[in-house]
Amino acid sequence: MDEGIRIEGLSKRYGEGDTAVDALKDVNMSIAPGEVVGLVGPSGSGKTTLLKCLGAVIEPTRGRMTLGGEVIYDSAQDGWKTADLRALRRDRIGFIFQAPYLIPFLDVTDNVALLPMLAGRANGPSRARAQELLQALDVAHRAKAQPSELSGGEQQRVSIARALANQPPVILADEPTAPLDSERALAVMRILNQMASQFQTAIIVVTHDEKIIPIFKRIYHIRDGRTVEEAGEGRDIS
Amino acid sequence: MISLAGRDILHSWGKFVLTGMGLGLLIGATLTMAGVYRGMVDDAKVLLTSSGADIWVVQKDTQGPYAEASSIRDDAYRGVLGLPGVAQAANVTYLTMQVRHGARDERTMVVGFEPGQPGEPPNLLAGRRLLRGHFEAIADVKTGFRLGERISIRRHDYEVVGLTRRMVSTGGDPMVFIPLKDAQEAQFLKDNDAIISERARTATNPALNRPGVPGLLDAVNAAQTVNHSVNAVLVRVADGIPAEQVAQEIRRWKHLQAYTREQMEEILIVKLVATSAKQIGMFLAILTIVSAAIVAFIIYTMTLGKIREIAVLKLIGTRNRTIAGMILQQALGLGLIGFVVGKLSATLWGPAFPKYVLLEPGDAVRALVIIMVVCALASTLAIRAALRVDPATAIGG
Repeated sequence: MDEGIRIEGLSKRYGEGDTAVDALKDVNMSIAPGEVVGLVGPSGSGKTTLLKCLGAVIEPTRGRMTLGGEVIYDSAQDGWKTADLRALRRDRIGFIFQAPYLIPFLDVTDNVALLPMLAGRANGPSRARAQELLQALDVAHRAKAQPSELSGGEQQRVSIARALANQPPVILADEPTAPLDSERALAVMRILNQMASQFQTAIIVVTHDEKIIPIFKRIYHIRDGRTVEEAGEGRDIS
Repeated sequence: MISLAGRDILHSWGKFVLTGMGLGLLIGATLTMAGVYRGMVDDAKVLLTSSGADIWVVQKDTQGPYAEASSIRDDAYRGVLGLPGVAQAANVTYLTMQVRHGARDERTMVVGFEPGQPGEPPNLLAGRRLLRGHFEAIADVKTGFRLGERISIRRHDYEVVGLTRRMVSTGGDPMVFIPLKDAQEAQFLKDNDAIISERARTATNPALNRPGVPGLLDAVNAAQTVNHSVNAVLVRVADGIPAEQVAQEIRRWKHLQAYTREQMEEILIVKLVATSAKQIGMFLAILTIVSAAIVAFIIYTMTLGKIREIAVLKLIGTRNRTIAGMILQQALGLGLIGFVVGKLSATLWGPAFPKYVLLEPGDAVRALVIIMVVCALASTLAIRAALRVDPATAIGG
């Protein structure tokens, strides 16, 4: 499989000695470009810890992570391959949060264009890229609006556009449908499938939302820090 | 790159401008305090300049008419005039007193001078100089007196015939100029009851009321009601003669104290205004600390209100220096708004102050620099809080 993201033997231990807690135990995952997989598990199972490790926010205790065919972390070889994790997150990982968390003082276009600008791209091309994504996500008509003027669904679409702005090989979506009703949740999942396919981005959706679980073709169940892969229903929502 | 600080300010400009205005009023008060000090110093300099004197001759071992009581005989000026290098010498009196004007009293410094001599107000805004020997006055406009009005000094009425400006004592009291003889009388004139009582007491003294010496009692009484003292002699030196050289001659031969312009300026500014300057300095220090605390509190609160956004910004790859820059720029923006509002406020309300408020451009520039430094320092608390935000808090609800 051509790799979007690959995780091998990933473990994370918090604390030391008697108080040590193993949040992740030998996790293995592999997601292809253009694929959307679900990461499902109860509260405290290790979903968020896994997301933080994948998002280069916390350092795993052990294991190996590959992004777009390039090793980004290997505990056997001094851990992170880059010292600038901020740039790694900015350029190679997209984030979608439970709430959109748009920057309230930037308009829709600038919320999306901010990432390319942070990466050093000029304002013009950054805004053009933002427009392109807003068009693809059907919110171009709100390009000059402030986040507070958008509906919940529009805000979530803008946050998806922001995650795609730097064309990352992987997007980490942290319960993106949690606050939405069934119809809007399905709409968001439809968009994620469409974007994954269109931009060849691997998308990991952390969820315990029963409404969207049947949509995934592949699901990783996580319980007590261990993952188990199983085939999903792959219900068609296009 | 987008200016995050600018966008944030534009987004919540109402809150920002209102906060800046509040800070600005505080800065305005600070600038005004500095202006009051500058005004005191400037008043002192104007007082010396407008007297037209190069040397102030005063009672020995005193610091002159503005700093402490000085009394010298009114014929001392003749001896001074005879010294080489002296072009003009004239008596003056200074007395701070209440001048009645209709139904109200005005606190003023009454100056007695001889027309055409040093001590005369140099410039008139309106009216004319004193032409009669008695009962005419020139007043500083701050007294509120108008031309043609009558004012009462002790038991006599005076007509205001001229108006001048920027003639105030070191205490800020506006000056009223009257003829020297009137001023001498006003300074030492007792009320009628006191005169009668004094005469009665003299009459009971057998040494002063001798039956065999007619006219002695009258002569003693007359001597008691006439005043031959003045507070200072103002000296103008001839062209090309150093004032210090003439002052030394006066000190040596006349047993009087003589101060040059520089020495008198030092007495006024360094000694007389020093306590006020320290007081104002304390206020300035306190206001600066209060301003810093306000800016720190506001910026810190504004930053805490954006913790989630800052976590998201850090997670998506924003550099710490970009976030720190955003907070710093906001603090500086707040300081800039505060400075503009403060400068405008001080300029607007300065003239309404009873004392002269001198707002110097140099002080404004210094204030701007201090405000910017204070705002930058005040923002460090908020920057520290922002940099300690863990980007991981954006993940996991």
